[in-house]
Amino acid sequence: MTELTDNELMLHVKAGDLDKMSLLFSQHHRSLYNFLYHMTHDKEASEDMVQNVFYRMLKYRHAYSGKGEFVTWMFHLARNVLKDGFKKKKRAGNYDELEEVSEKISGGILADEQLGKKQAQHQLYLALEKLNEQEREILVLNKLQELKYHQIAQVLNINEGAVKVRVHRAFNQLKTIYLKMEAHEM
Amino acid sequence: MKCDKEMLTHWLNNQLTNAERQEFEAHLAECTACRQEVKEGTKVLVLMEQIQVPQPAAGMEARFLGMLDAYTQSVKKDSIWKNFNSRLQQLWSFQPKLQLAYSLVLLVIGVTVGYLFLNKSPKDNSKEQITMLSSKVEDMRQMMMLSLLENPSASQRLRAVSYTEEITNVNAQIIDALLRTLNEDPNVNVRLVTLEALIKYSDRSRVREELIRSIANQESPLVQSALADIMMKLQEKRSVEAFKKLLEHSSDSNPVKPKIEKTILQLSI
Repeated sequence: MTELTDNELMLHVKAGDLDKMSLLFSQHHRSLYNFLYHMTHDKEASEDMVQNVFYRMLKYRHAYSGKGEFVTWMFHLARNVLKDGFKKKKRAGNYDELEEVSEKISGGILADEQLGKKQAQHQLYLALEKLNEQEREILVLNKLQELKYHQIAQVLNINEGAVKVRVHRAFNQLKTIYLKMEAHEM
Repeated sequence: MKCDKEMLTHWLNNQLTNAERQEFEAHLAECTACRQEVKEGTKVLVLMEQIQVPQPAAGMEARFLGMLDAYTQSVKKDSIWKNFNSRLQQLWSFQPKLQLAYSLVLLVIGVTVGYLFLNKSPKDNSKEQITMLSSKVEDMRQMMMLSLLENPSASQRLRAVSYTEEITNVNAQIIDALLRTLNEDPNVNVRLVTLEALIKYSDRSRVREELIRSIANQESPLVQSALADIMMKLQEKRSVEAFKKLLEHSSDSNPVKPKIEKTILQLSI
């Protein structure tokens, strides 16, 4: 038996075979969580929102047309959940986890090289933080979720040309901020 | 080719078409400035990929499965409820206003009768009132039956015909309505039931005559056969002519032809 594609699985769910949703969940919840985490920097809120997105898929399964792709639909719903549910907390205090990581690094017996690498990662993380939400979102979708431009266009409901322009601008912005920080460090 | 920064970004992101990529890479081989940019960009992208995200709670999948199960259950319940609801609505739509009025009148009468009995008012007086009330019920029934007979739904018309059993004083109006149904109703089942209802009134000469006349109107073998049975039962010799005519017009393939021939034979003796 050939494996069903995500699209086919979701169409099964739509037709009433709700259990198929568990396959989609185990396949995609991690990348959905990562996306949400990058957008919120809140572990618990992201976990809740993952549940919420999958709940919406069940609830709105009849609206799934099967014309697009499952992942673009998933991120589309995730954006709505972000918009609806997450009252943006002040970012302060959300760095806890990352600081924990930094402390572990400085307290441990890491080689200089590794330490430098961790610092660079931390810096990029901070640079990503400095972007506005729209810029960060498009870069996360593009690079971390590895969506193609036409897929991003579907998620964001804009045309592919606009995606190209936005990715370019956001990436330049990130690079500029990061290089500035790096220069400052040195 | 000039330096194209946007192309460079898309190249880094691996989003160029083959042709675009070849074109850009040819340029890259010659342009030190772009190579420097690519170097910086790559560094940023690599770091971005390495960003650590805290692990989600281990119970996330279990939590989802619990939610899925609860949802599936609620959908099942929902569909049962919806089913129930739509049946309820169907039931309601089966109750035309007249029927509702009928039930209300019955209720009022029930209450009134109970009230009269409980109050032990002078007997003759209450009897009078009850008679009056039951005649009202009778009127209601007749009205309802007549109006239901006009209903576009065959099942409603079947119901109307069955109401005649409850009517004690079947007047000419009702007989007319039944005869019209027997001759004109498009549904065979309705015609058969009507025929059955009419047998009870076959002691009335008008009903008999109309039944005989109806023989020529019936195209359905089922109704023809039922009429043959009735005429045999009633030993109605006047129907022989009508059956003979019917045979002339019906084809050889008519399945009740032998039965009609037999009826003619037996009634002619």
